[in-house]
Amino acid sequence: MRRQIAVLLCFLTGFFVVVAFFIEQDPIPDINEKLDELLVIVFAFALVLGVVSFLQHHSKKIRRRDKGWTSSVISISSLVIMALLGIFESSIRGTGVIGDRTTFDWVFNWVFTPLQATMFSLLAFMIASAAFRAFRIKNIEAAVLMVAAIIVMLGRVSIGQVIFPQSLAISEWIMNNPNLAAQRGILIGAALGAASMAIRVILGIERPYM
Amino acid sequence: MSDAMKIGGIDKRWVYLLVAIGALIPIIKPLGLPVLSTPAVEALFEKIESLEPGDVIMLSFDYGPSSAPELDPMAESILRHCFQRDISVVVVALFPLGGDNQAKIALNKIVPEFPVVEGEDYVYLGYKDGGLAVLRRMAEDISIVFPQDNRGIPLEDIPLMQRVQNYSDTELSVSLATGIMGEWWAILVNAQFGQPVAVGATAVSAPKYYAYLKAGQMLSLLGGLKGAAEYETLIGEHYPELKERSQIATRGMDVQSIVHLIIIGFIILGNIVYLISRSERTRAGGRLASK
Amino acid sequence: MIRLLLAVSIILAGSLAEAQTDTNHINTDSIDVLLADSTVTATLVLQLSEDSTRILLDWTTGDSINVILERAGNDSVFATIGSFDPTITSFTDSGVSPGDWYMYRLLNGDSMKDLGAGASVEVPFPIEESRFFRTERTNALLLFLFYAATIVGYISIAKRGAQLFIRKIAGLDAVDEAVGRATEMGRKVLYIPGIMSVDNIQTVASMSILGYVAGKTASYGTNLEVPNKDPLVLATAREVVKEAYLKAGRPDYYNDDMVNYVSYDQFAFTAAIQGLMTREKPATNFLIGSFYAESLIMAEAGNASGAIQVAGTAELAQLPFFVVACDYTLIGEELYAASAYLSREPLILGSIKGQDLAKAVLVGLIILGVILSTSGQQWFADFFIQR
Repeated sequence: MRRQIAVLLCFLTGFFVVVAFFIEQDPIPDINEKLDELLVIVFAFALVLGVVSFLQHHSKKIRRRDKGWTSSVISISSLVIMALLGIFESSIRGTGVIGDRTTFDWVFNWVFTPLQATMFSLLAFMIASAAFRAFRIKNIEAAVLMVAAIIVMLGRVSIGQVIFPQSLAISEWIMNNPNLAAQRGILIGAALGAASMAIRVILGIERPYM
Repeated sequence: MSDAMKIGGIDKRWVYLLVAIGALIPIIKPLGLPVLSTPAVEALFEKIESLEPGDVIMLSFDYGPSSAPELDPMAESILRHCFQRDISVVVVALFPLGGDNQAKIALNKIVPEFPVVEGEDYVYLGYKDGGLAVLRRMAEDISIVFPQDNRGIPLEDIPLMQRVQNYSDTELSVSLATGIMGEWWAILVNAQFGQPVAVGATAVSAPKYYAYLKAGQMLSLLGGLKGAAEYETLIGEHYPELKERSQIATRGMDVQSIVHLIIIGFIILGNIVYLISRSERTRAGGRLASK
Repeated sequence: MIRLLLAVSIILAGSLAEAQTDTNHINTDSIDVLLADSTVTATLVLQLSEDSTRILLDWTTGDSINVILERAGNDSVFATIGSFDPTITSFTDSGVSPGDWYMYRLLNGDSMKDLGAGASVEVPFPIEESRFFRTERTNALLLFLFYAATIVGYISIAKRGAQLFIRKIAGLDAVDEAVGRATEMGRKVLYIPGIMSVDNIQTVASMSILGYVAGKTASYGTNLEVPNKDPLVLATAREVVKEAYLKAGRPDYYNDDMVNYVSYDQFAFTAAIQGLMTREKPATNFLIGSFYAESLIMAEAGNASGAIQVAGTAELAQLPFFVVACDYTLIGEELYAASAYLSREPLILGSIKGQDLAKAVLVGLIILGVILSTSGQQWFADFFIQR
């Protein structure tokens, strides 16, 4: 019975959202908007589940002294500290463009932001090692790929325009033509696949949520 | 040392070390390499140049701290350009993790450089969650989404917002976006409401926006640090008094140039090593076969 | 003069045909100005058109005089919008915007004095009529119906027992091998279902594959870990894995800690995954779902740890990174076909075949569109514009 209800609910909501794309008659647009809002509300409750899972997972690691348990201590401490700062400082936060000077903001600006920037910066190093591994002339296609990659890399930077002045124009052509064509082809295929998957889920043929 | 840590026989960490050194040198000693602008970036510059003093644009901060190195220079350049030309700016933030912060950082930096007044020349409406729903609602009435600005002042009491009700009262919307948000502006705000849209995107996301640019759903695309550097160059050429202040992305391009050259060097080196070892294997195979 | 008369007559005829009375927001009080002309009486009447895009002005003057019509907007600064001889007594102002105030006054064309006849109005926003069907989306409806018909058609064919061919997908063939490798090495399988929420179709597809992988790890007794960025995905993944272990007859092997929550922040999640891969060295990594900038960091970390990696995403920008750093990559629609490929269920296979037919038709339409557009026939391509 539980399964049938889940499948029926999935069908009704999926069908409704498809219909709402075409039908403008009140109250359909309002209900459609309410479904979006419902997702946000459900997310908020699921977040509680997530936090409980996080605490359980890391406290188990600490209790058992598993490998990396000290990282778990830092993780739980960070969660608790930021949550408490956010709750207790919310009443004294500044409201102007200039003026937010609470501890929460300080931690966000001077701890969280640099950490995020650091993680994003790792991409530069990862790209270097991935490119070194990937661009090997094993066959004709790989050779063409390598040449195109070098031209685009030169065209994207100032020094490329000094070393090889035509690299900008050629790289723009590569990005706007063969690259775009391939992307559009994959995009069309992926969109059709997504639509097919959605139809299967709505019709109950596939039930990945159960 | 596992084989996975080596590439072509070289420890990956040597590659990382060289990249790090290559990134540090231009920061310590700037190279001053020229930056040439492209049509995709020039389109936004020319659009803002064509606006009259008093015209309004909307600037949306749809990114967080991780994308700040690439998108902050774009935000600062666009704000400088608008304030220099007395173009009013309505600023919003739609990215949940840090959009609000990035908007405040940019305004805190740029506002003191110009004789602009909050509420008259610019206004910051704050952060709002909701993505597509927010974009849709702003086409009808911005005050439904943002009943007051970031200071808590109702929109009807703000002189700038008394003449801006929705997108049609602005000349342009610029989204500085990470991830999917730039696409939302193109497919919803432009395609459905006819609002000219320009997007500033990170370099890794920029390739997917070319389709929208080519289809005319975006007026302009600023891709990554290069896009920001191009805009700074255009600002410097047209407004020499702003040139010194708008150099962050341009200096960053020096770093990018050196790192790209290092990567290209490694690719060529890797292929030389590969071809040599392949021919040695072929020769060794030939000798074994002949025995 | 004759051309002006003709033009105004045409405008007048057109606007009179559409003129509707709307007196909700009309103020007919005279507007006080300096230099009033008290020798001539005049009246000015104002009407808004039905669609609120035009203001229709009619005036009368006691004497036969030339008049000048002036208009002011929100800034209250008057400017001349027309000069008329005595035979013309009306004008249509088309340059109006919703939400703006407009004030009009008549001046004596000879003495330039105010005739004391004025009117003002605030142009309201047009009331949108609620339509039943959005006719601008007819193209989308037709395409959707065609697509749904091909899928349902092939599902019916599949139900009747037809053997449907699906090409080999190396990444999916490798799933069993990858899980087996983890079992042999005594290390865990790490499954990352992307970073987007459960409303993203790639995440839904990832859940299908997770169910299959969890069934395999249950059968082989291999450790499985599924870290999540999104709490809704956490809840869904737990149900999927629990169900898979139940179906495999190994409910005792399942525990909630296998599917855990890490962080909602993109790069905090990435840092945690990178640490997990480096410390615990899973034998097999599955990176299946929607990824953004963190994709290369995760894939390279997994590559450095020596794991076999199967990735799958429909995010165009991330595909090159996965192709470079992973052993097998499911590209775009292969991700959505995975459930059909792994389960070989006829109904799901039928939908894949229907999708292929639709794609073939679409390719034909694209070729036709290119030919027509190149020869100057734009109507065909215009039909497919999104509205």
